[in-house]
Amino acid sequence: MRSDRVLGLVVILVALAYIASATQIQVSFLSDPVGPKTFPILIGAAAALAGGVMVFRPDEEPDWPALATLGALGISVAVMVVYAYSLKPFGFLIPTTITAGILSYQISQRPLFSVITGIGLSIGLFFIFRFALGLGLVPFPKAFYG
Amino acid sequence: MELFSNLAVGFSVALTPATLMLAVFGCFLGTMIGSLPGLGPSNGVAILIPLTFSLGLDATSALVLMTAVYYGAMYGGRISSILLNIPGDEPALMTTLDGYPMAKQGRAGDALVISGVASFVGAFLATIGLMLLAPILARVAFLFGPAEYFALYILAFSTLGGVASNNQAKAVLASCIGLGIAMIGLDNSSGLPRFTYGNLHLMDGVDFLVAIVGLFAVAEVFFFIESHGKKSSIGVKLEKVTVPVRDIVASTWTMLRSTGVGFVAGVLPGAGASLGSFLAYMSEKSIAGPNGGFGTGSPKGVAAPEAGNNAAAGGALVPMLTLGVPGSGTTAVLLALLLTLNITPGPTLFTERPEVVWGLIASLLIANFVLLAMNVPMVKIFVRVLQVPPGILLPGVTMISFVGIFSLSGSYFDLLLMVAFGVLGYVLRKMDVPTVPIILGILLGNAMEDALRRAMVLSDGDPLFLLSSPIAVGLWVAAIAGFVAPMFLRQFIRKPQAVTD
Amino acid sequence: MSTTLRTLGLGTVFVVGLTGAATAAECIAPANPGGGWDFTCRQIGKIMYDIGVVDNPVQVTNMAGGGGGLAYGHVVNERPDDEDLFVAASQATATRLAQNAYGGLTADQVRFVGAIGADPGVIVVAADSEFQSLNDLVDAVKADPKAVAFGGGSAVGGFDHLKVLQVLRAGGFDDIRSVKYIGLDGGADAITQTVGGFTQAMTGDMSEIVGFLKSGEVRAVAVLTEERVPGFEDIPTAREQGIDVVAVNWRGLYVPKNISDEAFQTWADKLQKVADSDDWKEAMVANGLAPFTKVGNDFQQWVDGVVASTEELSREIGVIQ
Repeated sequence: MRSDRVLGLVVILVALAYIASATQIQVSFLSDPVGPKTFPILIGAAAALAGGVMVFRPDEEPDWPALATLGALGISVAVMVVYAYSLKPFGFLIPTTITAGILSYQISQRPLFSVITGIGLSIGLFFIFRFALGLGLVPFPKAFYG
Repeated sequence: MELFSNLAVGFSVALTPATLMLAVFGCFLGTMIGSLPGLGPSNGVAILIPLTFSLGLDATSALVLMTAVYYGAMYGGRISSILLNIPGDEPALMTTLDGYPMAKQGRAGDALVISGVASFVGAFLATIGLMLLAPILARVAFLFGPAEYFALYILAFSTLGGVASNNQAKAVLASCIGLGIAMIGLDNSSGLPRFTYGNLHLMDGVDFLVAIVGLFAVAEVFFFIESHGKKSSIGVKLEKVTVPVRDIVASTWTMLRSTGVGFVAGVLPGAGASLGSFLAYMSEKSIAGPNGGFGTGSPKGVAAPEAGNNAAAGGALVPMLTLGVPGSGTTAVLLALLLTLNITPGPTLFTERPEVVWGLIASLLIANFVLLAMNVPMVKIFVRVLQVPPGILLPGVTMISFVGIFSLSGSYFDLLLMVAFGVLGYVLRKMDVPTVPIILGILLGNAMEDALRRAMVLSDGDPLFLLSSPIAVGLWVAAIAGFVAPMFLRQFIRKPQAVTD
Repeated sequence: MSTTLRTLGLGTVFVVGLTGAATAAECIAPANPGGGWDFTCRQIGKIMYDIGVVDNPVQVTNMAGGGGGLAYGHVVNERPDDEDLFVAASQATATRLAQNAYGGLTADQVRFVGAIGADPGVIVVAADSEFQSLNDLVDAVKADPKAVAFGGGSAVGGFDHLKVLQVLRAGGFDDIRSVKYIGLDGGADAITQTVGGFTQAMTGDMSEIVGFLKSGEVRAVAVLTEERVPGFEDIPTAREQGIDVVAVNWRGLYVPKNISDEAFQTWADKLQKVADSDDWKEAMVANGLAPFTKVGNDFQQWVDGVVASTEELSREIGVIQ
């Protein structure tokens, strides 16, 4: 009950912000009769309406995970974000080993298994991507080449 | 019997032991690429175009190899849909709805074989349709102006409410999220940026692949972390892979109807393969009715979208070959391939370069038969994936997703966006908001808005123009019926149920 | 037999080709496969290798984004001195630079090394159209701008749109803001809409209309070149109809800003050799391109001129402030 109401309210707020943002869209001087604002505003209005329905007629409460699990999910999101930033400067192999290892640990809860999975995945996938699919991956940070 | 002599020309060009080997190789490689999340037919063909040059293949061999990869990837897209609830590419989206529930019941092998047969039926009949009707069907594109396309998109969205949610408001919300995201980027009609906030990465909008991989693959990883791999398809005891003859026979009409729906959607340049599979699924779902079991692991629910999307892919070749207008993202890649071979598709292609057209058609047929023949053996390999411990499989899927998306643009920005979509997908799915309409919104949003705005430019803002042709009116009527009918049907069906209870 | 052998050797060739890529030249096509930029990279790359001016096959990278802006920014910011890199460009690159569509990046941040072909601008109508000449079309717009809708493959303010406006203005119609124009998804789509009767005329490039011309579905009322185009001598130029507009979509390349003058000259020479090759001449014919060769510093100056004049026109019609 409560989750749907909260989501409904969030949706309404976001939709209003979206509409407000849509009214700020630059209009070219050679504009067409509909213009670039109308369609986004319609979408925002429909979303706000759907949010309203959720506030007034909520479904049953979903089964949210325990706090500890939420923490684990938070960590995995953080790890993925760091991974996204590190692929370019640090090459493929090292960040992949660490990220895959951490994710594997969170699912399996077995440390040694996760370390092996991390190393295995990073090397195995590197070879698949680089040599079988021909993607231009860089294995190590540029500094390694001197 | 011109057709057969033409076809004979085609096969004489395309069918040699060497090209057959290329076809087998291409089908296998394509299936592999297609099954990886984020890598689809477009990447597959794009990656391999340089290969055809470095191998020094002649035009026909190159065409055979590429069509094999193309079909293989189309075919492979469904594998991860069924096994892991992660669509390998956008036309395989609808296959998750019934394919994954089947896998959870231990019927992954059946689902894969049925979808393989359905893909074959759709692709095969569409190729026949292409051969017989291409020159006539090409005229259909001339009948669809902005008003007609707008009505077609309205039809698609009006049936969205019943996709996968019990709560209509949540389906509307999901479509709005998708449409809202589609608005990001350069406005097609004025060339000015919208919702980009000065960010160059957002200028081209949000790539639907980023959204698919985020909403499905990354979100799936979060679910696994939450449940430590329980309640999923992994580790479910599998039945032996056999050919589920009874299900296939029962789905015959589903496949044929879906082929028809998909083919027509494919022929219209603005519709494409995803819309084909979507409309095929929705029409079969409404034929089956609420007791048809759609959404809970119905074999027909696997057969319909697969026949639909493969037929649409074949149908999309009609405007591509006869008009040079690619009807879908994947035909755009085939168009690129033809152009690199110095073949410019257009109205004169059929008369000026018959050997190319019939060679292509023959290659498509070859690829189709090769895939059907490889189906059962390949399924046996792929279901093994479910025996891999989740602690290896899911990190692997994540890493593949990252690299797949990274290969799109080489920027970390898309990766962050993908993670954000993952979080969004997790939260929404927890709250029973369907994620399929989000993808459709992103895929169709711009085309829908452009159609409306073009129509209004042509009519100087007169809304009645939207109803100016019989085709447009017909589509609107179907759309309204599609939106209203479920509400009445629900009441109508409940009553007899109450009696029998 | 040889094909079979090659097939068997597939795995090896593939790997060798890729590891060799480290020293090979790279061509960035700032769009997805299938467009003009992709064609430029693949054709020029292929011919360079075939005629032996490069040792390894040219590796083509598709970097779609921002209408070419992402690739432009990538070259300017991340690889300003990479001598093995060239990037496909066209009139659209110049138009967007002139309209400040690349987020503040300017035309002087790279070096334009050459163009070796051009796609002439054309204006076409459906075969059964009442308009027989460009002047009929201009007169109809003058009489009632609402009665004539133009379709083109670029967005409002893009090159296809600018072509129509230039023509109308040169024809003596000044209220160009009232001209109806819809931007469609590419030239073929624009033709489809024109043949279907949804728009009255289509503006695009010669390559986009060749097939439809041959099949008799459309008629070209004008080509926007100085002289009639070889192979299409029956299409009159706008100029001979008293409307002095020349607009061609050149196909060419740019290279990073900070490469040495020798490297720049080497690329210019290689491009000249491609332009002189029979392969390229064939590719031009097959794709409806007209000869248009300018390389080296000549080309740089010419691009500067185009950017300046496009900027002026865009400002005048209000596409940019």
